[in-house]
Amino acid sequence: MNKLTGRIAAIQCNSHMSLVDVVIGSDTLSATLLETPEVAEYLKIGNRVSLLFKETEVSLAKNLTGLISLRNRFAVTVRSIERGDILSAVVLDYAGKTLTAVITTRGMDRLQLAIGDEVEALVKANEMALSYDL
Amino acid sequence: MTYDLSPLLLTFKLASVTTAILFSIGVPFAWWLANTRIRFKPAVEAMVSMPLVLPPSVLGFYLLLAFSPTHWFGQGLDRIAGIRLAFSFEGLVIASVISSFPFMVHPIQAAFQSLPHSLTDAARVLGKSNRQTFFRVLLPNIKPALLSGTVLAFAHTIGEFGVVLMIGGNLPNETRVASIAIYDEVESLNYAAANFYAGVLFVLSFLILLAVYFINRKKQNQMALHQGMPK
Amino acid sequence: MIQAHLKKRLHGVNGEFNLDVNFAVAEGELLALFGDSGVGKTTLLRCLAGLEMPEQGCLTVNNQTWFKSFHQKTIPFNLPPQQRHVGYMFQDYALFPNMTVRENLEFALRKGSDKKRVDELLAMMSLGELQHRKPETLSGGQKQRVALARALASEPQLLLLDEPFSALDDAMRSHLHDEVLRLQQHDGMTAIMVSHDVGEVYKLANRVMLMEAGQIVIQGSPAEVFSKGQTSGKFRFTGKILAIEAMDVLHALTVLVGNQIVRVVATGDEATLLHVGDSVLLVSKAFNPMVLKLEK
Repeated sequence: MNKLTGRIAAIQCNSHMSLVDVVIGSDTLSATLLETPEVAEYLKIGNRVSLLFKETEVSLAKNLTGLISLRNRFAVTVRSIERGDILSAVVLDYAGKTLTAVITTRGMDRLQLAIGDEVEALVKANEMALSYDL
Repeated sequence: MTYDLSPLLLTFKLASVTTAILFSIGVPFAWWLANTRIRFKPAVEAMVSMPLVLPPSVLGFYLLLAFSPTHWFGQGLDRIAGIRLAFSFEGLVIASVISSFPFMVHPIQAAFQSLPHSLTDAARVLGKSNRQTFFRVLLPNIKPALLSGTVLAFAHTIGEFGVVLMIGGNLPNETRVASIAIYDEVESLNYAAANFYAGVLFVLSFLILLAVYFINRKKQNQMALHQGMPK
Repeated sequence: MIQAHLKKRLHGVNGEFNLDVNFAVAEGELLALFGDSGVGKTTLLRCLAGLEMPEQGCLTVNNQTWFKSFHQKTIPFNLPPQQRHVGYMFQDYALFPNMTVRENLEFALRKGSDKKRVDELLAMMSLGELQHRKPETLSGGQKQRVALARALASEPQLLLLDEPFSALDDAMRSHLHDEVLRLQQHDGMTAIMVSHDVGEVYKLANRVMLMEAGQIVIQGSPAEVFSKGQTSGKFRFTGKILAIEAMDVLHALTVLVGNQIVRVVATGDEATLLHVGDSVLLVSKAFNPMVLKLEK
């Protein structure tokens, strides 16, 4: 489980759903939730929260150009690689914090990933869960 | 050789009358005892069970005292209604009712107590009066106990000896029941007559009990059959 | 329609406590009583039916007084259950053993009721084939259906149900839920139901009262009452790990959730912290599960 901690910067919501922006360092990452500030008391601007996302939900891109609907994209450096037959785990450094991406070995080979490469990590807002640390 | 049948007829008359009276007062009494919350309920239950443990002669002795024309009870009864209970059939009936009372009440009280209370609740919620609940819900569900109570009371009355001897004596066609006749015949060394009365009582008692067990077994078999049926 | 303010001393497993409730039920409403065993739910139903007498308070139904406690030299008034005209479904079913299924329903009919009602109810509960059987020959679920049918047979102005669907299989439970909803929506039947099943309460009840030790802790719509705290629209289950197997850089966990076995994926780091037999919480975003309707 990848975990990034930051503060809530903005909340956009309708009757059942919220889009929460969380500032982490110089990036703003978003999470869509099936909760609203009325029901979930921790949803307040300025609150410290953690973004949780599964390793298998992280995509990696090199030299990404053009438009993309995805909003959660951030620069990372490849720190180590654990190669498997079908899936491989890529350990990433994100501004000093460690994240992991599990992608297909085939996809990794296509990117020709090597230790020290600078790549972009991409996560859909749907896949981001929030946890509230007291 | 012909025997005098009157002691046997008198025995069955006494047992029938006694059982009929016991049924009509024993069933409501058993229901009351099963449901009452009065404080002296243990005392009432102890009184009901007394005939089970007392020598019949004790019961007979006190009844004889009460029935005697010199006692206020016997005297009053004689003066007001012209009834003399000592050494009479009516006196025997009253004595038998008292001595066979637990045999009627116990099985029926136990059956009432084992019925789930929710049956009464359900009937009341459905708008049924206490009377309707009693006759249409409670009584039909304790049929085996009603049968046992009736048969036990009947059989016990047939077998009663001590009480009858104390208050009934040995008056032909009035108080000379079969059990007394057997004793009397043996006293006069008339073994053949004693054997006749004893044999009839033996066979009849056996047949009555056999019938009860047979009916109960049939009911159980029916239940087992139903429960074994595919759902 | 119902105004209830009732107090009664109860003897629970953990000593004495007071049933003390104050609530109203609107005409045509289906109210669920939710809470652990022994908090006074059944006693409350019995007080409403008149089978038990509260010590204090008052109860009015459709502007008619059903119960009024000792107050300013008046004697307590408690309308007998026979005159309350409620349908009560007992937790132990309380079917009359001497009567067949059909006779049980006929016995419940009010004077002047059409006997066709018995046939309708037998059909509704799918009891037609069992109508001449005695209760002792029925399974738990079948008895429960007869008990529900009997409670409905008297055309009650108020229906009181004590765990009415607990012994049924899923298909029959779902069928009877629909029937109860239909009765409530078309005939405007008012009902109070004891239930331990959150799904059932969600589906049937307009309102739920959560009870603890004789008191109403929370009341409101099922969504309001049940979404406070634990469930917040997330997909989460507790389970027990049955097996951990390595596959490539990941691990497959076999987890028992309820009585179903599911497989989920964990990374190597996570797997090193887990052991067979551990209890785990499986959480997913509400967006992830795909929903497929099951054919009956």
